[in-house]
Amino acid sequence: MKIVMANNDRSPVGRRRVLKGVGLAGLAGLAGCAGTGDPGSSTQTTASDDSMDSGGSTDTETTAASGPAMADSIEVWGWDVAAKSLDLVDEPYEDANGGDVSINQIGRADLKDKFKSTVLSGSGAPAASMMESVDAASWVNTGGLRDISAWLEESGIKGEFVEGKWGPLESDAGTFALPWDIGPVGTFYRRDVLDEYDIDVDSVETWDQYIEEGQKLPDDQYLLNLPSNDYDGLWRMMYRQIGGQPFTSNGDVNIHSDKSLQVARILNRIRDSGVANDVASWSSSWFTAFGEGTTASLTAGAWMEGTLKAELGDTSGSWGVFKPPAVESGGSRATNWGGSNITIPAQISEETARRAWDYMAFALGRPENQLTMYREFGIFPALETTYDSEAYDEPHEFLDGQPAGRLFADIAPEINPYRYTVDTPEVTKAINTHFRDMMAGDKTPKEAVDAAAQQVADRTDRDLA
Amino acid sequence: MREETRREAVWQFLTYGFILLGAVTTLVPLYWIFVASTLEESEFLSSTDPRLIPGDSFLGNFEALRARENVQFVGRVGEMTQYVDLGPVYFAYDFWNLWNMGAIESSIFVAGVYTILSLLLCSMAGFAFAKYDFRFKQPIFYAILATLILPIQLLVIPLFLLMSQIGLTNSYWAIILPWLANPLGIFLMRQNMRSIPDALLESARMDGATEFQLYYKIALPTMKSSLAALSIILFLFQWNLFLFPLVILDQGKYTIPVAINQLVGAQRVYYDQIMVAATLSIIPIFILFLFLQKQFVSGILAGSVKE
Amino acid sequence: MATRDSLPGPDPSVRDRLRFARQSVGELVPTPGEGIVGYVFLLPAFVLFGVFLAFPIIYTFYLSFFRFNGVGNDTLLWIDTGFFSYRLTSIADLEFVGLANYTTMFSDSLFHQALFNTTFILVVQVPLMVALALLFAVALDASFVRLRGVFRTVLALPVSANLVAYSTVFLLMMQDAGLVNYILTSLGLPAIPWLTSSFWSRITIVGAVTWRWTGYNMIILLAGLQNIPQQLYEAAEIDGATRIQKFRYVTVPQLRPVLLFVFVTSTIGTFKLFSEPVIINGGGAPLDSTITIVQYIYQAAFIDFRLGYASALTYVLIAIVSVLSAIQLNVGGDSDA
Repeated sequence: MKIVMANNDRSPVGRRRVLKGVGLAGLAGLAGCAGTGDPGSSTQTTASDDSMDSGGSTDTETTAASGPAMADSIEVWGWDVAAKSLDLVDEPYEDANGGDVSINQIGRADLKDKFKSTVLSGSGAPAASMMESVDAASWVNTGGLRDISAWLEESGIKGEFVEGKWGPLESDAGTFALPWDIGPVGTFYRRDVLDEYDIDVDSVETWDQYIEEGQKLPDDQYLLNLPSNDYDGLWRMMYRQIGGQPFTSNGDVNIHSDKSLQVARILNRIRDSGVANDVASWSSSWFTAFGEGTTASLTAGAWMEGTLKAELGDTSGSWGVFKPPAVESGGSRATNWGGSNITIPAQISEETARRAWDYMAFALGRPENQLTMYREFGIFPALETTYDSEAYDEPHEFLDGQPAGRLFADIAPEINPYRYTVDTPEVTKAINTHFRDMMAGDKTPKEAVDAAAQQVADRTDRDLA
Repeated sequence: MREETRREAVWQFLTYGFILLGAVTTLVPLYWIFVASTLEESEFLSSTDPRLIPGDSFLGNFEALRARENVQFVGRVGEMTQYVDLGPVYFAYDFWNLWNMGAIESSIFVAGVYTILSLLLCSMAGFAFAKYDFRFKQPIFYAILATLILPIQLLVIPLFLLMSQIGLTNSYWAIILPWLANPLGIFLMRQNMRSIPDALLESARMDGATEFQLYYKIALPTMKSSLAALSIILFLFQWNLFLFPLVILDQGKYTIPVAINQLVGAQRVYYDQIMVAATLSIIPIFILFLFLQKQFVSGILAGSVKE
Repeated sequence: MATRDSLPGPDPSVRDRLRFARQSVGELVPTPGEGIVGYVFLLPAFVLFGVFLAFPIIYTFYLSFFRFNGVGNDTLLWIDTGFFSYRLTSIADLEFVGLANYTTMFSDSLFHQALFNTTFILVVQVPLMVALALLFAVALDASFVRLRGVFRTVLALPVSANLVAYSTVFLLMMQDAGLVNYILTSLGLPAIPWLTSSFWSRITIVGAVTWRWTGYNMIILLAGLQNIPQQLYEAAEIDGATRIQKFRYVTVPQLRPVLLFVFVTSTIGTFKLFSEPVIINGGGAPLDSTITIVQYIYQAAFIDFRLGYASALTYVLIAIVSVLSAIQLNVGGDSDA
């Protein structure tokens, strides 16, 4: 009775069965639940892996007409606009390759909890799920994801993605996800505000110049926001920009390098110069400040445009974007914030995984599909072969007609790789804690990065580089 | 005598003052949730001008909530695919397909079933602990109490594994069964049932009552108000469960807390819809409370037991 | 009858009469030994416990001596009877580390911080809430109060409010320019940094939790009040006891088992505090001053995938709370069970 329920419960019939069960007062049926010896349902739990993936595929019958066998239907998890954009390529896929793909939209934090629970308990995971690059290293490290390197090689699409995306998706054991989007960073600014005070972003090359220009703003208006709950965000962006790595290739903690110190000094100068507001990121007052122009610019991933558009629709046309200032003159102006991938859990059966891969390769590996998602939802492709598309030259109304796509497509191939590891959360914590001390004047930048590195080393049993 | 009347008046005045103060403090955040549900999101979040008077966007927000693809908060009419044709009358016989349950109905259903079954189990166990002696009574009780502390955050993984092994994933039973023997409930019943006088039980035994009759003819009726309180505890316990239902249930079966959490996006939180959902989900509890609080009268025990 | 209003010092005659009354109600008559009957009543609870919670609990304990290295895929059990076959795979690749997970805790400063935060919230919040709940219960049990049903319902409602919704409202109310500070400043008091100072952010959590759970505990106490034999009050009245004396010598002692329940479960509830700090203080801000133990356990398990360590933390938590509960039960005179 129970096993049948698990497999059929998607249908309303399943609910009916539950309701009927209530009539039996529940307890009587319990003794039966504990045992597994119900011959009637024996076909449902076969010796193969199939018994472990009931959540991933409702139907593991194979098409098997030609080529390797693939499951008929799969379930893919994603959140917010990412899930919606997957839905866009759902029908084209089914028309082209058959099968039945259902996209399950789950809140971001909830998806992570749910996915990790199913992966760690070895059952109930979806056929595929989205996975943020920040989380990738630690999720890969659980051993619960499937190595897709053979398929990747076979398809020959690996080289078509931005180089910097692969690092966290790989381990000694293989490659565990296919890149989806990236977040090339731009500095979004209130065109009207900066114009009014005669600040010309085209003449700005470095952060020091930008800070200098920011002095032109009146006291109650700020050039940018440097939130004390999120120092690590800006730090990571700049550190990556100048080619810094939080961990060395042999895993030593490296957040106290000269480059890190350079970034710490700039952040400290930004705070001391008085051009930075301090409002908690993503809070309502954070948005309000951008809407009212009291904070005039925001350095963030390309996806931020969509967020600003949704939250501050009535400021449309008064924004612009430029490449983020360099840390030093002549330095790189390309870095990244955010980005996701799609992964297949290891517990998924061969046929289901094959279907999932087929869908992923279709949705993420083909320029036309990636561009569909970009046009509709601003999800910026990690697929390099899209970058010469004219889709990027379209003017953005929100940015006063600026063709921002081109700017980001130029930045994307220049982005340095960045070594996310299982201990990335420790880095986040340490940087935030000690940079707060630095901003309060309790630590020098040198002391702050050293203390942060020491804290990470202590808490993770790693060595200092 | 006049002195006493005056003191009585002062006393009553103070009592009322205390109750009113408490009620107002309690209501302000709740009222704000309600107000927020009637406003557009930007009006509610405006830090410069907090709104405290209801607006007129409730229905609009409610429609937006209903229109969401990934959450079905309130049920809707299902497809009536099966009919009995009785000439002029079509009779849909597949009742369960008539209504596709949303999160609100799911929560009421699950919490209701859970409360009824758990009441039985907890009161029996509580009665055993309060009124019987048996070996290892104290150790067993402390062990049960200790399980109260187990954070669900850690139990999720093994429990999920267990449920998938016995085939209960995506089943409401998965969130009902593990907590039926609710340690909180057993503890409460143990504490309350201690006030049942042994003399009362003993005299019933003399009259030839079986042990089980002592439980349902004497213990349960005298514990009316405690059972009402227990119902509230159990119902709310299930009503507020979040992490395990999230992990074990699929989209179509989400309970209220899980459904509401789907409105918290990666970059955007749909406060307007959350507040509508929150306002609506208080109503069933309000009704339950009004109904159960009638049970809060002195039990038979308190009035009638005389030597 | 002349009453002696002069406190302190219990009126001996009141006490004696009460003791006699209690005895006459039979509270102190020892429970007769019934042997097996107790087990029979416990059986359904036992079965459910055994089936659903024994495995997770034992597994967690087992895990606490291991280091989690990843998801496993070894076959542990394979039954193939011809009729059906069943395969159970190991869920984790584990490495035995003995007591290492437990000893790590001694030098884990974040765990100490979490323990301190939780204890702070506990020490401030639980007594405050229980006192308020008791006062409300007694007030709303008084026969002269009109609309008792409505007031009781109103006070108990917060616990049904959705967590995301109420935490958001608290967040807005407690902001620097929020409603609470607006009221404070219009009364001529200084504004308080409810969310940004380490101390006050904990107080904010205390306030939120007290708001949510006071009414709930009031309901439990209210139910307990109904079980107090009326003749104890009558006996006290005959002796001319004042309201306060009746409260002190009848209500509190008679309510003792239920009060104990409220204390113990509130303590446990505080130790399990998780969601409020996450939403109101963004997961421990400022400076980890609001991170709670369960939040830390969650981080260890779900973010860092240190399942072994998280399990060890859980058992230490259980040990701490068990000792606290045992103390509460003993001090509260539960030993005459």
